[in-house]
Amino acid sequence: MSRAGKIARRTFLIGSAAIAGGVAFGVYMAKKPIPNPLLDDLKDGEAAITPFVKIDAEGITLITPRADKGQGAYSIQAYLIAEELDIDPATAMITPGMPGQAYYNASVLSEGVPFPAYQDGFVAETLRDFMSVPAKLFSIQMTGGSSTVPDGFDRMRLAGATARETLKEAAARRVGVARGDLRTENGAVILPDGTSIAYTDLAAEAAEIDPVTDVTLRPASAWRYLGKPDLPRLDMLRKCTGTEVYGIDMEFQDMLHATVRANPAVGTAGARVDASAAEGMRGVEKILPVSNGVGVIANNTWRAFQAAEALEIEWSAPDYPGTSEGIFATLEQALGDPDSYDHRQRNEGDVDAALEAGEVIEARYRIPYLAHAPMEPMNAVVRVLDAQVEIWTGTQIPLFIRDRAATIAGVEPEAVKVYVLPMGGSFGHRLEMTHVEQAVELALAVPGRHLKLTWSREEDMSHDYPRPASVAAGRGKVADGKVMAFDLSVSQSAMAPEWFGRLSGMSLPGPDATITTGSWDQPFDIPDYRVTGYRAPSMVPVSSWRSVGASGNGFYHDSFLDELIHAAGADPLAERIRLCLHEPARKVLEAVGEMSGWDGPSIAEGRGRGVGFCMSFGVPCAQVIEVTQTDEGIRIDQVYVAVDVGEVLDPTNLEAQVFGGVIFGLGHAMNCALTYENHAPLETNYHAYEGMRLYQAPQIEVRALSNGSRIRGVGEPGVPPAAPALANAIFAATGQRIRELPLNKHIDFV
Amino acid sequence: MKLTVNGTEHEVDVEPEMPLLWVLRDELNIKGPKYGCGIAQCGACTVHVDGMAVRSCQLPVGDLEGGVTTIEGLGTPERLHAVQAAWVAHQVAQCGYCQSGQIMQAAALLDLNPEPSDAEIDAVMSGNLCRCGTYPRIRAAIHDAAQKLSEA
Amino acid sequence: MQKSVVILAAVSIAGAALAEGALTLPEEGSISRADGQAAFERIYEVVTHPRCANCHVGEDNIPMWSGPSYGEARPHGMHINAGESRIGAEFLPCQTCHVTSDDFDTAPHAAPRFGIAWQLAPVEFEWFGKSRAEICAQLKDPERNGGRDWRGLVEHLEHDASLNGPVAWGWSPGGDRDPAPRTLEEHVEDMALWGAAGQPCPTD
Repeated sequence: MSRAGKIARRTFLIGSAAIAGGVAFGVYMAKKPIPNPLLDDLKDGEAAITPFVKIDAEGITLITPRADKGQGAYSIQAYLIAEELDIDPATAMITPGMPGQAYYNASVLSEGVPFPAYQDGFVAETLRDFMSVPAKLFSIQMTGGSSTVPDGFDRMRLAGATARETLKEAAARRVGVARGDLRTENGAVILPDGTSIAYTDLAAEAAEIDPVTDVTLRPASAWRYLGKPDLPRLDMLRKCTGTEVYGIDMEFQDMLHATVRANPAVGTAGARVDASAAEGMRGVEKILPVSNGVGVIANNTWRAFQAAEALEIEWSAPDYPGTSEGIFATLEQALGDPDSYDHRQRNEGDVDAALEAGEVIEARYRIPYLAHAPMEPMNAVVRVLDAQVEIWTGTQIPLFIRDRAATIAGVEPEAVKVYVLPMGGSFGHRLEMTHVEQAVELALAVPGRHLKLTWSREEDMSHDYPRPASVAAGRGKVADGKVMAFDLSVSQSAMAPEWFGRLSGMSLPGPDATITTGSWDQPFDIPDYRVTGYRAPSMVPVSSWRSVGASGNGFYHDSFLDELIHAAGADPLAERIRLCLHEPARKVLEAVGEMSGWDGPSIAEGRGRGVGFCMSFGVPCAQVIEVTQTDEGIRIDQVYVAVDVGEVLDPTNLEAQVFGGVIFGLGHAMNCALTYENHAPLETNYHAYEGMRLYQAPQIEVRALSNGSRIRGVGEPGVPPAAPALANAIFAATGQRIRELPLNKHIDFV
Repeated sequence: MKLTVNGTEHEVDVEPEMPLLWVLRDELNIKGPKYGCGIAQCGACTVHVDGMAVRSCQLPVGDLEGGVTTIEGLGTPERLHAVQAAWVAHQVAQCGYCQSGQIMQAAALLDLNPEPSDAEIDAVMSGNLCRCGTYPRIRAAIHDAAQKLSEA
Repeated sequence: MQKSVVILAAVSIAGAALAEGALTLPEEGSISRADGQAAFERIYEVVTHPRCANCHVGEDNIPMWSGPSYGEARPHGMHINAGESRIGAEFLPCQTCHVTSDDFDTAPHAAPRFGIAWQLAPVEFEWFGKSRAEICAQLKDPERNGGRDWRGLVEHLEHDASLNGPVAWGWSPGGDRDPAPRTLEEHVEDMALWGAAGQPCPTD
């Protein structure tokens, strides 16, 4: 571990800005007892056994703090608790609860450590666990980074087990038998004589005793729910009957409806507004300035939209380039520029020496800004009362919202209640809170009234905080049919520090790992191997997009690797397997080979297959995609996916998440980009940002392996390999090597 | 202005150009039909008007002729329509936001074409956007629902 | 100028219909061949304009898109196929999105609509991508124009426009779409001029 010293210093800078004042502070903060937010709301007779379970005479409530944006977090968290608590979760109340610091998310930052996820050595593991300290410090009750399952796997089961044993202890004391002689079943403690006492009946007594914490988790072989096929999602019935209440569906008596138009140059203030046409429109109650824009308050969402449309607004311009052309020129300029150097987390062998002479293979790549564009546009309901602010919204960051709303409204954070609602998708969009800030600003003008702010689709797409655009250059060398040298440079505006700064007001010093996440950390052994990140100036404000850094780096790394393998004359799959140094990763590559009947990239005239691989969030994922060139364009026929998440807790949902990841990755790779003119994207609705439609969806076959060491989430890892696998398949079918996304700039799709 | 939704007649005082979607959502508090794009690009607002699928974001309420059925009127959690039952059986929904529209479109499809081929499903269902990528299960669920309906 | 023989109803508001029979038709043969050819040239510009040609497509039954910002015409998104019925009956009825309304004013990129059921023109009326000669031959061929002589074509335009159908919509398409060239009235007039001139086709 010769790199440990150098890297470790950087680690503390990357993940832990607030530690600038000293690690001791961090340890002190992290060791402080974490306030239990449930205690605030507890009524007499209720027992708060852990922050994840609440029981009273009315019933059992499971608190699932990781928000559900479609990935199944709601369901799996409930099953994790129920597995140990011995209840049927379908009979329980399930709620995301109020945001509180007890819900810190330790796993989301742990992939920020400077060890590739395939290294499970002592130092790497220790550092990864240490990262939970800054997570606590930052009070991140955050959903993201495919972290719900890894973060909750032990904690939520322990919560269930602790609750169960404590209830048994309460029963034991009541009837005077040993706890060991009791068992539990379906929400009740069963006495030796077979009579049962419902948990709800024991709640008050359980509150009186110290919780039983010396519990042992059940082995996988004893699970009733987890790992079982056909585990029904607990929200499925609601979602198929139109009865799920998303944020946008919240309704209150006498509620006002609002919308905004803010500067499409996101974050840029200053505008001249002529509201004369809008002011007299039916149902319009108020037209008010909000940060960077104008808000309309009306008595119906459509009327608010119509009035907002009627506003004549002249926006002021920021000082970064206003066009995609100018933006890409800026990115190109930073690429390889020593003054823009950000980090180099992989540097093996001597790349400079290796590439000094002989035939060097070079390629340049670029990817566009991408909107998250979830189906449910951003919205929030806010009511401002005398000393309190209430917020109902679908969000991944309730604590940041609480603190920001408190600042805007001039109240203590404790006076802000954030009710987290199911989300109609997010893909990272709900890691932002501009819409909530605007809603609070508007609600302050109508105290006592509920105000629902809804962004139009156009407002949503032009204020999306997109996935960063970036450019990359690959240089490499092959010899004797093998890839010998691989040098990749990536240039991107900083993403993580910008995002974190927006949310917290704190600066995150040190390099921005997201510039190369997904390329520096791949489990390959290439003799001369280097990945360098360059930081371009900040331009369009950017954010996390499903699979974050790996969404672009997966394309760069695997596309260039494919080019080198082709130049070496080697088989794309066999050479990846030969280079792979991580057992679970090699196994997923071998699996897709077997699933696809791989016998080389060519299938027939005009038909080809490509392999794509990326390890992200600790999950190796390999895909083989088969395409056909038709008269109407490229048709994607079949996708084979193998993925290793350690332990599969919900096979049905795992398949759904992989389907979704592949379709998300392919759809955007085919035809999506945000193109900027006058600092605003031209694509403001789905007509210009189609993604994949049902007729284009290929057959997808998924195999989940379990050779990895730590349990991982699968919401994102299906995304990164899809784009390179598709581009590699197109090369196999047509001989055309496409190095820019979206691919339809260069080739048609059916 | 009067309109009938899920068998119940309602009186609303709105301008005739207001899209049916916003009459349903903001005036009648019927929240199953969703706003996704406002321009007939996503299908999340799909309802039936006299049994035909219609994007309610496109229909000025003044031009409404016929009874409206929303997802709430298609079936309920206690009494699922065959399409809804197939959706549950196949665990189709992820975020679920587009699924009201997908289900309404699929129900209209099966009404017109009880045994659709894959190509026919592709032709009908490609106007309904799903950003989560539930398409493979939508296809499977429609075939399943078609079979259940033909057995009924 | 022959236009003086033509009296048009004053029609200028979007969606307002051209009154049927408002036009006094010129005598057959009263228009010179050159004026007739010039009129056809203007007719050709209209019928090959995206507002008209995008739904006058061939037997693949796939309408075209070229609204604001699409650039060149492209096949209708969402895998749309209107079927042999040309109203989408086999698959997804056009009216699922293109509702029937006399109010043409939609948001940009929303589904355009007019006062009759949205549909593709009959397949034999194919204009998209067709040459002057092909379209001219089709327009004057009763087998392929709905069994109409030139007076019938004028009546057809007037009748469709009176229903707020596609003929009226083409010049008031809403949603920031480019309208067809010139005006509806001029187009009707040109049809009359071309007819009265004996429906001359381009020589090339």
